[in-house]
Amino acid sequence: MTKKLKTQGSFWLRPLITLGILLATQIGYSQKADIDEGWTLLSRYLYRDASVIFEQASEADLRQRDLGLAASLLNEPPVTSRKIEQAEKLLAGVISGSPVDMTSVYALYLKARILHMHREVGVAEIESAYRIVIEKDPQGGVAQLAASHLALLLLYQRPDLDISQRLAAAEKLETVAVADSLPEVALGYYRTLADASLFYEKVTPQALGWLRKAHAIESSDQLNQIGLSLQIAEVARALHEREIALSYYQEFLTTAVPTDQRYHTAKMRMQELEENK
Amino acid sequence: MKQGQFGKYLALALLVVGFGYSGWQALTHSWEESANSDVEVIRLAHWQLEPGVREAIDEIAADYMQLHPGVKVEQMAIPDRVWKQWLRTQLVGGNPPDLIEMASYHTSDEMLARYFVPLTEYLNERNPYNADEADLKDLSWRKSFAGELVPDETVHYYSANLLEYYAVPNAMVTVRIFYNRDLLKAALGEDRVPATFEEMLEICAKLEAYGKKIGRKVLPLGGSIFNMTKLTGGLFGGTTQKLAIELDYGHNLNLTNFEGINGYLRGHWNLDTPAVRTSLDIVGDLGRYMSPGWVQLNREDAMLQFLQGQAAMLSTGTWDSGGILQQAQFEVGAFRVPSISPDDPKYGKWALGPTSEANIFASLPFGLTQTSKHRERAIDFLRFMTSRRENTKFAEQSTWLPVIKGVPIPKVSEAFRPISNGYITGFVIQGFNSASTNIFIQNVHLLSGSNASVETYIEQTKGLYPKVLREELARIAKVNHDTIKQKDSGMTGFFALEQKAGLARSKFDIVAAKQLEVEAQRLQALRSLEDYPLEN
Repeated sequence: MTKKLKTQGSFWLRPLITLGILLATQIGYSQKADIDEGWTLLSRYLYRDASVIFEQASEADLRQRDLGLAASLLNEPPVTSRKIEQAEKLLAGVISGSPVDMTSVYALYLKARILHMHREVGVAEIESAYRIVIEKDPQGGVAQLAASHLALLLLYQRPDLDISQRLAAAEKLETVAVADSLPEVALGYYRTLADASLFYEKVTPQALGWLRKAHAIESSDQLNQIGLSLQIAEVARALHEREIALSYYQEFLTTAVPTDQRYHTAKMRMQELEENK
Repeated sequence: MKQGQFGKYLALALLVVGFGYSGWQALTHSWEESANSDVEVIRLAHWQLEPGVREAIDEIAADYMQLHPGVKVEQMAIPDRVWKQWLRTQLVGGNPPDLIEMASYHTSDEMLARYFVPLTEYLNERNPYNADEADLKDLSWRKSFAGELVPDETVHYYSANLLEYYAVPNAMVTVRIFYNRDLLKAALGEDRVPATFEEMLEICAKLEAYGKKIGRKVLPLGGSIFNMTKLTGGLFGGTTQKLAIELDYGHNLNLTNFEGINGYLRGHWNLDTPAVRTSLDIVGDLGRYMSPGWVQLNREDAMLQFLQGQAAMLSTGTWDSGGILQQAQFEVGAFRVPSISPDDPKYGKWALGPTSEANIFASLPFGLTQTSKHRERAIDFLRFMTSRRENTKFAEQSTWLPVIKGVPIPKVSEAFRPISNGYITGFVIQGFNSASTNIFIQNVHLLSGSNASVETYIEQTKGLYPKVLREELARIAKVNHDTIKQKDSGMTGFFALEQKAGLARSKFDIVAAKQLEVEAQRLQALRSLEDYPLEN
């Protein structure tokens, strides 16, 4: 009987030792996990994997680790209000008592995003959170991004303002929103203003101006840039700005990709305009 | 033995046999691999069981294996009805084939990131298998494709969220009307295809009369919902182009469903709007030549109806061409649905002319799995497969349209050549969302058969749109909300990785701008729902 138990014991002992060694190796490896690996996983939308890495990352840079963990928790499945609260607490820790640096400004931005998109609190609270980010580093890219999101809020979530007031309030953010730090975001901001004006069916010289400013920044997205030239041509046509329309139609026809279904319609509309002198 | 017990044992036995078979397959596969450890095995999986496709891939694989004797290319054709489950099992199981056919509705961004290799860098290099082609040898692999693989959001080979290419396509497809040439010759006294819509209706009438004359039912148009929605989509889009420009408040000559719905909520159109009514009239006028009960048929029934000579014409995609040509016992022809001329007195008031097919997407795209043991070899095979020479072979064998610049369209597929000099697609009422498609599908019988009536169709359906279109806006807002939230996390990763090198024009900058666009649309949808609530 004793012999049998002993045999059974040694039978289980070996795999257990092996498992122990493997676990120890894994833990050792995890502790050394590079925080950059967490950022890479996060940039590939692998939230759970990123969250595991951040949780196990060395505490050399606690603020970076907590920022990463907070961002991961926002989308780690299953998404729960408890995880969102946890993310907010982590961000509060990153912000409190820290110097104003990129990490703390981004944490403030992420906090504003949580209020706007993940918790959807009252508009005044969200507006204030974005304005805090802008005040902290008005020249920086994060403030630029916050200003663009604030513009969206002003354009669509303030029914207390009439349409021209919404557009004017959003336009006031221009100096911050079009900084050089993020040219694609600057372009996106101008497009946001123009698209809002068109959404509200206000085809105005102001909307045309915003579109032209967006176009002048030159999107790195070829389709975006091509689309802008046609949109400018069409808006100019609607405003009877014949010369502007013709020059942007021409640009569209020169740059359109072979898969653009609009080519011949644009060509036809340009010819119509040319004939109606 | 009781019957219940027998069933239980039978199920158990089947389970054991199933497991045994799977185990045996896995074992033999691994024995094969270890026995031929010098052989690089590339496995390629897809769901295209249409005749011609597998044969074409086999030929290309044989060419490649002849060129590279140490390589074995294995093709796995999986039926599309089990594809989704099969794909999940393979990916999660950790031993998927090296190359897998991709479709954005099968692979989420998370799946792409976790299981597939980004191919952007490879596509930016030249394709060495085009080295002998003077016009292609200096182009990147991406630029060697006819449509240059424009990174659009709607395509299956590119992820707009991850900003990477994940697949390489091999063919293009269009929709055409296939017809029984023998039957048409007998009914018309000549083999001619319609040049105008009026002629199309005239041919249908003559086919019907011919059936009566010979004493057997001849259906001018065969089809199921699958086939007919392809046809009606083209008819709706071809009669309402001017309305599409009117409703396009974004002023970019691209009326989106989103703009169409907002236009409806603002009262800019309804089913009685003249252009919409004209598009329903045209569907009704053609629908008169459909047999009652066609709505109950499935795709296979419709194909059988055509192949058995009961129906003279069938509208389907060029993916079916190989099967039709192989199985039909009569001469087959194909033509494009005749376009509506702006001069057409009945249907032309809102038309611009034929709709362009320039934007048809490249299909049959293959992605590379992360676990591939022979990554570079698999990429090399993809390059070979999409070289001009092999794509020519693929097009000839499969009858699918070629995807590489300068590859001639085979004579047999000439009718499938995409129309690139057409106009924008108009306003397509059947396709705002799945619910509006369902309204159309459930009521299209009112637009078909001898009692077809546009008035009855409008009466039956107009009360359904206010709710359905608002639901679609709410759905768009929700989907966009999910995407926006996911980007908040992903962007933090980009920010941390890229801030030291400068954020201008970085992935962070690009994704942030994209997020603004998606967020704007979500807020517009919510604004519209609040400004235009559903009345009781």
